[in-house]
Amino acid sequence: MKPLLIRGGRVVDPSQGIDAVRDLLVRDGIIAALDEHQAVDGADVFDATGTIVAPGFIDMHVHLREPGQTHKETIASGSAAAVAGGFTAVACMPNTEPALDSPALIAEVLRLAHEAGLARIYPVGAITRGRQGKELAPYWRLRDAGAVAFSDDGATIASARVLRQAALYARDVPGVFISHCEDDDLKALGVMNEGVHSMQLGLAGSPGLAEDIVVARDLLIAGETGKPFHIAHLSTAMSIELMKFARAQGFAVTCEVTPHHLLLGDDRFERFRADAKVNPPLRAELDAAALRAAVRDGAIDAFATDHAPHTREEKAQLLSEAPTGFSGLEVALGAYARALPDLPLARFVELLSCNPARILGVPGGSLRAGSPADITIFADREWTCDPSRFRSLGKNTPFAGVTFPRKALATLVGGRIVMQGAG
Amino acid sequence: MPERSLLDLDDLSSDDIIYILDRATRFHVAPPERNLLRDICVVNLFFEASTRTFTSFAIAEQRVGADIVALPPGSSSLGKGETIADTAITLAAMGVRVIVTRHPESGFPYRLAESFDGHVINAGDGRHAHPTQALLDLLTLATEFGRVAGLKVALVGDILHSRVARSNVIGLRRLGAEVILVGPQTLLPDAMAREGVRIERDLDAILPEVDALMLLRIQRERIASAVLPSLDDYARNYRLDAPRLAKLQPHAIVMHPGPYNRGIELTEEVFASSGWRYVQQVSHGVYVRMAVLDFLVNGRSA
Repeated sequence: MKPLLIRGGRVVDPSQGIDAVRDLLVRDGIIAALDEHQAVDGADVFDATGTIVAPGFIDMHVHLREPGQTHKETIASGSAAAVAGGFTAVACMPNTEPALDSPALIAEVLRLAHEAGLARIYPVGAITRGRQGKELAPYWRLRDAGAVAFSDDGATIASARVLRQAALYARDVPGVFISHCEDDDLKALGVMNEGVHSMQLGLAGSPGLAEDIVVARDLLIAGETGKPFHIAHLSTAMSIELMKFARAQGFAVTCEVTPHHLLLGDDRFERFRADAKVNPPLRAELDAAALRAAVRDGAIDAFATDHAPHTREEKAQLLSEAPTGFSGLEVALGAYARALPDLPLARFVELLSCNPARILGVPGGSLRAGSPADITIFADREWTCDPSRFRSLGKNTPFAGVTFPRKALATLVGGRIVMQGAG
Repeated sequence: MPERSLLDLDDLSSDDIIYILDRATRFHVAPPERNLLRDICVVNLFFEASTRTFTSFAIAEQRVGADIVALPPGSSSLGKGETIADTAITLAAMGVRVIVTRHPESGFPYRLAESFDGHVINAGDGRHAHPTQALLDLLTLATEFGRVAGLKVALVGDILHSRVARSNVIGLRRLGAEVILVGPQTLLPDAMAREGVRIERDLDAILPEVDALMLLRIQRERIASAVLPSLDDYARNYRLDAPRLAKLQPHAIVMHPGPYNRGIELTEEVFASSGWRYVQQVSHGVYVRMAVLDFLVNGRSA
């Protein structure tokens, strides 16, 4: 492969404290040099003038639906969606059918990811067998097969005893525990946030307390067992306070926030459509404002989309029947920028690249010479979300028709341009 | 563009509401010619058991001369994989112009109306809305007092789970009544407070000031679901009995959407009291539903 010179872009790499116009040389899939002006004979040149060049973005929370639900998404279509959205890597959740609770299934995901040949795919193994919350999954074997983290995402492990044992057993296994925090009993049949809007619509609501209680429990289990925990998709103001408390205790805990919880409130159900139905539910505007403040003040470690594709037919069902979630990979950059227009770029890149790489313990998150050449090139350009153009098979999003201020222009994985000039 | 539907009372302006109440009053005085809805096919699509509302609609439809098809619950192919949109398109293709529907899930008629080329009338959806019940309640108030504006109306009991309460709050406020909601926190969460709606916990305290009480049905399931400790504990604070009746102003009336639980939300003395208006409510239901059918299909006549 010929060397590639990415010339004239504004390189933002918080891992090295760089924010300056630089030329970036990629050779053999590796970052070879990062200098002011480079001229390399025989290199292809990528003109990055007027754009931002950052270490590749990593979405640590996506659902790729394979095996078992390939009508919603496949690893191939999900990979295409990832690179179209500017992501060089994604961590895929184990709520497939069957659940990713055996080494063979992890290996199968990696085989399909290799076949797709676009983004790096990091499988997340289940914490309990079949995600049933009862028996422990084989953490060492899952890790050997390539799992980078563990989660029963989509399901909260109801038993504190089971989760505690899991955390103790897995303490020395590399791979953070990722917690989906919703108390099923408190949530009951809730299809949206419990609050003024659910009361007016006569819809069963799930209170913020259903999240807070489990966040508190899981953070305490993290502290007591010493196993690092990552709290997925925080949605309430109280969860942030609990995170701050846990950090102050010195617990090894991190957390993420989604674009939809940053941008949208629970006033999206007026005509009873399920487009905005998601777990945890969209909360009150006060919660969304608290999440945005938490991103600014550093209480949030990572941006993650919770990309959860479904078919149009599935999402057209009644609110009680429609599945939760929607596609996120292809709107994420724009949505984060829209939610936090004043966020410094270095912090933006930290949340999307450096921190997810560190939390998952995977390569990336840096443009330091010798790192894999996983690079996201983006710019502040306006565009309007048109879900019919998604590469994801899931065309559902509560952001249809919304204008975003930022978009990915090119995605490089291992030095290879896997997306350029996506529409 | 879908045709005009009645999904909740906020689909109607206060003028529309007054027009419908006025038409209903006229139908009450003198039956209309039977041909107001001649050759209009109306389907009653009920997914939840209903005697009162179903019968009331059926009679109203007959009185305005519609062609009526009733699909008994369970007969629809919804639930056999057919989507709501498929059902709507199928019925429209057969020439159905009006669907009257009741469904256990809040929002069902909205999703149906989205795909139906015709009029949808919500006969009750989940906990959400029951607009024709609210209209008949408004008609009962208007008939009694000659106006709704300025009346002080208290709704008592299980507000959270009540579609009757939600629609009534909209209608009462639209016509300028003062609304008081009364009940314990688990049946009337603080989050139900909104502009122009007072929340009270103490029924005894507000009895002397109201012009009308709307009692709501208390369901025994609320005990199993840990929402109420016992019917007796509820009755201590909220059952309308003789001592509480005595606290009402002489002109005050008592309403109930039915079916009522004797001894739970009210005692036998209420039935014998001069303010009990349940029978009038049921009777008004037919006229209001006739007026709604006429209004949606034919618009406002001169």
